[in-house]
Amino acid sequence: MTPKLRWTLVGVAAVAALAAGVYFGMERAGTPASPAQAGAALAGLALPDPAGKEQRLDQWRGKVVIVNFWATWCAPCREEMPEFIKAQQQHGAQGLQFVGIAVDQADKVDQFAKEIGLNYPTLIGGFGAMELSKSLGNKLMALPFTVVLDRKGEIVHTQLGELKPAKLQSIITQLL
Amino acid sequence: MGLLATSTGSARKRTLSAPAPALALVLASLALGVASPADADPKLLPPQEAFRFSARALDDRTLEARFAVTDGYYLYRDKMRFALDPDMTDIAVTLPPGKVKEDQFFGKVETYRGEVVVRVPLAQAAGKSVVLVADSQGCADAGVCYPATRQKVTLALPEAGKGPGPLVDAYPRKKNWFN
Repeated sequence: MTPKLRWTLVGVAAVAALAAGVYFGMERAGTPASPAQAGAALAGLALPDPAGKEQRLDQWRGKVVIVNFWATWCAPCREEMPEFIKAQQQHGAQGLQFVGIAVDQADKVDQFAKEIGLNYPTLIGGFGAMELSKSLGNKLMALPFTVVLDRKGEIVHTQLGELKPAKLQSIITQLL
Repeated sequence: MGLLATSTGSARKRTLSAPAPALALVLASLALGVASPADADPKLLPPQEAFRFSARALDDRTLEARFAVTDGYYLYRDKMRFALDPDMTDIAVTLPPGKVKEDQFFGKVETYRGEVVVRVPLAQAAGKSVVLVADSQGCADAGVCYPATRQKVTLALPEAGKGPGPLVDAYPRKKNWFN
């Protein structure tokens, strides 16, 4: 690469960075986008558990909370849950808390939870939960979608699709 | 996602004609450290694009519905429903057989890939036009599923003994730089 080309690229990159920054700023203006704000929106959420009892997400504040949007009709969602069960069992005492938000019917959730021995709470979220996940970055409103909150309640990671075991491990190592 | 996905998305489209700006945009995204905490997502299509719905009137009593399922995506046979707006009663249709897949939770399920064509009979002469509503639900091989998606087309019905009418897309194809 010639020096001239290199500087041209740097110049173009700088302009692009500025444009991207402006664009990103604009995009963020419409949504509760800062990690603290988005985390607060999520923490303030109250959803029924399969028994119909309202549960607020901020009851787990102070823990590392992994909120997993899922559904029984979503095979990739079901496939990653055994890993979550294992991690909950191994690291729950250190302050790791998984919370499921099922975009599904309570009876199906209950049946599936029993079948796989779910050891963390899962709440029933309707379309509103999907809208919330959209504001957290799940623009396609697809599942699974997972949000990781640190002990302060700030969102530190969001994941559309499988939360890979290596990623989960690094979250556990860094945040617990 | 946010910026990173957006930037690399547009960079990808430009790669053929303008590699330098594309590279710069990627570099810019990396240089910014991108405030969004999300990993860059695989390039997933919105469900209306992954499962393109279109339909035509074969005659004044029969519609033909089509789903063009993009490579790398699939639809569930048992989640496919058709109705007319505003009536919204499920119309009984004969769905073609799908590919049988063993699902740990639901047992045998059938899925569609490629093109799915379904005849939708109209119970009675429905007038000059109908709004056909199709609900479908599917997933991407990349490992995500979409909630049930509703798509609609408005079809002019041909006079008795005439037809078929033109194919109408629910989600018109966007013109891009290459066509």
